[in-house]
Amino acid sequence: MTALLKLDRVSVRFGGLAAVTDVTMAFSPGSLTGLIGPNGAGKTTLLNAISGFTAITSGHIAMNEIDLSPLSAAERARLGVVRGFQTVRLLERETVFDNVLVGCERLPQPGLLGQLLALPPERRCRARDLAATETTLRDLGLLPIAHRRVDELPFASRRLTEIARLLVVRPTVLLLDEPAAGLDTRDRRALVESIRTYHEAGGLTTIIIEHDIELVRRLCPYSVALDMGRIIASGSPNEVLSEPAVQQAYFGVRSGA
Amino acid sequence: MRLVPDLAVPHRPFQRAAGRRHGALFSAVALTAAWLAIPVLLGQYEVFIAAQVMIYAVATLGLDIVYGRAGQLSLAHASFFGLGAYTAALSGPLGIPLWVQPELVVLLAIAGGIIVAVPTLRLSGLRLALVTLLFGELFDWAIDHSLALTGGSQGMTVAPMTIGPFNSQGTVDAYLLASIIALGATLLTRQLARSQLGRRMLAVRDSELASASLGVPIVHTKITAFILSAVFAGAAGWVYAYVVGFVSPTTFNLFASVYFLVAVILGGAGRITGAWLGSAYIVLVPEVFNLVGYPNLFPVLGGGVLIAIALFLPGGLVEGAALIRAQLGLHRR
Repeated sequence: MTALLKLDRVSVRFGGLAAVTDVTMAFSPGSLTGLIGPNGAGKTTLLNAISGFTAITSGHIAMNEIDLSPLSAAERARLGVVRGFQTVRLLERETVFDNVLVGCERLPQPGLLGQLLALPPERRCRARDLAATETTLRDLGLLPIAHRRVDELPFASRRLTEIARLLVVRPTVLLLDEPAAGLDTRDRRALVESIRTYHEAGGLTTIIIEHDIELVRRLCPYSVALDMGRIIASGSPNEVLSEPAVQQAYFGVRSGA
Repeated sequence: MRLVPDLAVPHRPFQRAAGRRHGALFSAVALTAAWLAIPVLLGQYEVFIAAQVMIYAVATLGLDIVYGRAGQLSLAHASFFGLGAYTAALSGPLGIPLWVQPELVVLLAIAGGIIVAVPTLRLSGLRLALVTLLFGELFDWAIDHSLALTGGSQGMTVAPMTIGPFNSQGTVDAYLLASIIALGATLLTRQLARSQLGRRMLAVRDSELASASLGVPIVHTKITAFILSAVFAGAAGWVYAYVVGFVSPTTFNLFASVYFLVAVILGGAGRITGAWLGSAYIVLVPEVFNLVGYPNLFPVLGGGVLIAIALFLPGGLVEGAALIRAQLGLHRR
């Protein structure tokens, strides 16, 4: 299958620090990849490079043969490359519903006057956005708290609201940065289920950074390990984890020791 | 589903709309009754003050768009108010016909909004405030230094707007004129809050990073917010000049900008009711101090009130009222 997202010898340097070095990867449509590695391995930098929050120093990133390099983060998002953050960033004083509604930004919206004067195109778009939001909230089980303000909700619901906001318009590439961080075991399991359900519905190419190896094992058919900004192993999570280089990076265990 | 907390009260979110509609109907009836009662029951002076509250509400709604919603602190807001007011004032001497003036005010405000917005796009917080302050001072300076045209710091009188029997400086006429733009501005803001544009602004205010990740065009959103706020302030200023009949730079200086900011913060940023309450505060309370003969006490009280709000009601009066309702168990959620 031809790759949807291609990284070709991508490097990111911050001054003298090489955060990501010569990373070449290809993601086929509908793939679900776990990105693992110790702290400082360059996982988040790589996600930033794909989503456009960090400029790459050299190499190419292309989606569907479109070069992403000259595009801003917002422009990439409109092409369908969306990401979540390690710390949840929501509209704190608004409801879950309104927070997810913001995600409809990636659908075509009427112009300024159309929106301000509530002209017919605006009404059609609003009806479309409300319906999409309601569906997503239902799929993720957020409907019962749709009209609660997010600043009064527990962390797990806030995390799920953020993910709903990314999914309300079906992304092409979904990038998640430690979505399970801060969740307890039961919440993690539920999160895995929602991601899997969405994924199986089709078409979504997902890359997940995750420290919870068990979660990666359960969720991702394929995984890539990074260390010191370089790919040290790739394959199924079990294969990757049994690689000596990965053992060394994670546990400081020498091969054969 | 497990990720959702167990709730003591079952939620029926999509049935809440009906209850809300009754509430909205009740408010509309009450507000219409109050609107009719003011010119019927109150004296000329009070009606004139009510008209000013409405005019200031339009400008405050404008600042609420750029600061309360989009999160861009502007200390040039009174200058946009002044831009509208001086357009009205100078239209007489310059012979600009009445029907051209609203379009002119809107165009000038758009130009002014862009002029302030573009250089400040990369700034935020205090530095943004300082640069907008510079634009505000520039406006003051321009008025002061075009003596022949504007009368400088002495100010200038403005001939009333007359259309047939309508005279903008007649009490009820002024009240009507102010009502029309206040209603227009309120409806526009309400629609803005419902639209994607309004949500974009909130997203930019709360996190530019997250906004970009959702595809929100940040620069475009900020410029739009500045333009809308300038147009609101310009329209308010234009009506202000015709209603009050006199303009001078002190009405549009830094202090005026700060008062608009106080109005937004006191009422509650990002809330329409908040802008109205804030406007009532900045118009009525100084009037009360004037009446009792201590006009200089207002800034002292104003500072105290602002500190109290910042400490105890960071969400402003509107959220304060919501908290009290919740405490009394009247909150339907």
